[in-house]
Amino acid sequence: MPIELEGSSRAQMRVKEKRFWSDDRFQRKAFMLPTSIFLLCLTLFPFLYSVYLSLHFVKLTRLSNKVYAGFQNYIDLFNDQLFLTGMKNTASLAVSTLTLEIVLGFIVARILYEIADRRGVNILRSAFLLPMMVTPIVVGTAATYIFTPQQGIANYLLTSLGGEPVGFFGVAIPAQLTILAINVWQWTPFMALLILAGLTSIRQDIIEAAKVDGAKWYHILFWIEIPSILPVLLLGITLRLIEILRFFDIIYITTRGGPGDNTMVMTLYTYQQGFRYFHVGLSSASAVVILLISIIVTTVAVHLLRRSE
Amino acid sequence: MRDTSLKTIILYGLAGAITIISVAPIVWVASGAFKSDIEMMSLPPVAPDLLDWSFIGGFLSENYPFILNSLFVTIGSTFFCVLLAIPMAFGLVNFKLRYENFIADWILSTRMMPPIAAAIPLFIIFNGLGMVNSPVALLIAYTGFNLPFAIWVSMTFIRQVPKELIEAARVEGATWFETMLYIVVPVSLSGIATTATFVFIFAWNEFLLALFLTGQETRTLPVVISSFVGTGRVYWSNIAVATLIQCIPPIIFVFAMQRHIVSGMTMGAVKD
Repeated sequence: MPIELEGSSRAQMRVKEKRFWSDDRFQRKAFMLPTSIFLLCLTLFPFLYSVYLSLHFVKLTRLSNKVYAGFQNYIDLFNDQLFLTGMKNTASLAVSTLTLEIVLGFIVARILYEIADRRGVNILRSAFLLPMMVTPIVVGTAATYIFTPQQGIANYLLTSLGGEPVGFFGVAIPAQLTILAINVWQWTPFMALLILAGLTSIRQDIIEAAKVDGAKWYHILFWIEIPSILPVLLLGITLRLIEILRFFDIIYITTRGGPGDNTMVMTLYTYQQGFRYFHVGLSSASAVVILLISIIVTTVAVHLLRRSE
Repeated sequence: MRDTSLKTIILYGLAGAITIISVAPIVWVASGAFKSDIEMMSLPPVAPDLLDWSFIGGFLSENYPFILNSLFVTIGSTFFCVLLAIPMAFGLVNFKLRYENFIADWILSTRMMPPIAAAIPLFIIFNGLGMVNSPVALLIAYTGFNLPFAIWVSMTFIRQVPKELIEAARVEGATWFETMLYIVVPVSLSGIATTATFVFIFAWNEFLLALFLTGQETRTLPVVISSFVGTGRVYWSNIAVATLIQCIPPIIFVFAMQRHIVSGMTMGAVKD
């Protein structure tokens, strides 16, 4: 290199240097490469490493000692009753919470739609966005406090209304329903605002025209409103499915999967296998399964969304 | 015209009820920050003594390092996230790239990845680097995990910068870097602020990765809160104070950013 440079004067070098810095191709790389590399290192690489680990027998306590296992971890995984329960619970949570969120969300959206232009509504909107943005851990501790069997406010209200006290997190069905209720409480506002955005995008003259032609409210609901909110609903369902697959914090705080394995979910299973029993291979296999489901959900959703546009 | 006043009252009543259901549980727990453990457990409920800050003081003097950890990780990762996201988003919008759509889709798909799938590998990597007891590990992880969101949202507001402005700057001989710094960034300051506050809240609220990647000394506030609830004695007063502190940023956030939350959570796919 120095030999090549000998002939050129200092001034020329400076020009060259300036050209180099302002060169388009260099700049493009400088804009995109650092972020891309960082993103690859922190997302793609760990996922590939997860896949690699899932094909080995590894203990978290002795990481250097890896034995190739083929698909044995996956076979063990799908023979593990606990994992299957986790999968079943995650699936039923997804179905039940989404159904309730959509129905309740639609009702809330209608209420907000009717009073949208009036004063004070913005403050109400902020207040009911709170559950969604508040720290999930705090939602968990709040639930623990409110639903404590003996001294909790929930049982106090229940008994003062003449009901029987309930072991909210201690008994199978109540525990599942409480977890469901927490989810619905937290995410219905999100669904409602999405549906509201869909409702406000409907042109008023179409509804007026339908009314003039003698359409009843249920005609308008089924033939105008529901079709127009379908795209946002699809988006909402996708984002919520992704979120439910990650569902962990609240379960970790409130039930830890109990009583028994009644509220075990996939993410908690993955966590426990890895960090309680140190079965890194099995835990990674479970993580890969969650990952695959996420990919399928995302791909299908993107497909449907592109088509509905 | 078609509204009767009765209908208005019913609608407001319903909206009010929804609001109370949304807020009451959090307020109920946070009110415990002004009560003792025994008062928190007494039924019928005791009114909090809002002038009694002794529980808050006691909590702060014991747990302030963890609040500082949380702030360090959150602010640091927000800063680096924005710093890395803006040029990338600028490039994706303004450069004519061969694989533009592919890169954009790839970024979107990483946003959908569950953190649990990266948690164990990240733990092993940071453990190997001897960084599990350093808050920097978590800072790096949060930056990476919030980057896809930040890039995607940044792209939506950088697209709104008029193309003529950028072309004019380029014709005048500005480099891409100068165009970004002196044209695009000043024009889209509010968009950058929106992105940053979202990333801040995501990082502030995160628990799973923090559980994996922090040691005893480097725990963030959510991890500390989770340790208060256990099989033994439950420290209700501590939980209440921690809840109050943990909730301050999200509360400010929902009132300040209300207009942008739905469009932000859907990454610009829905206008709110």
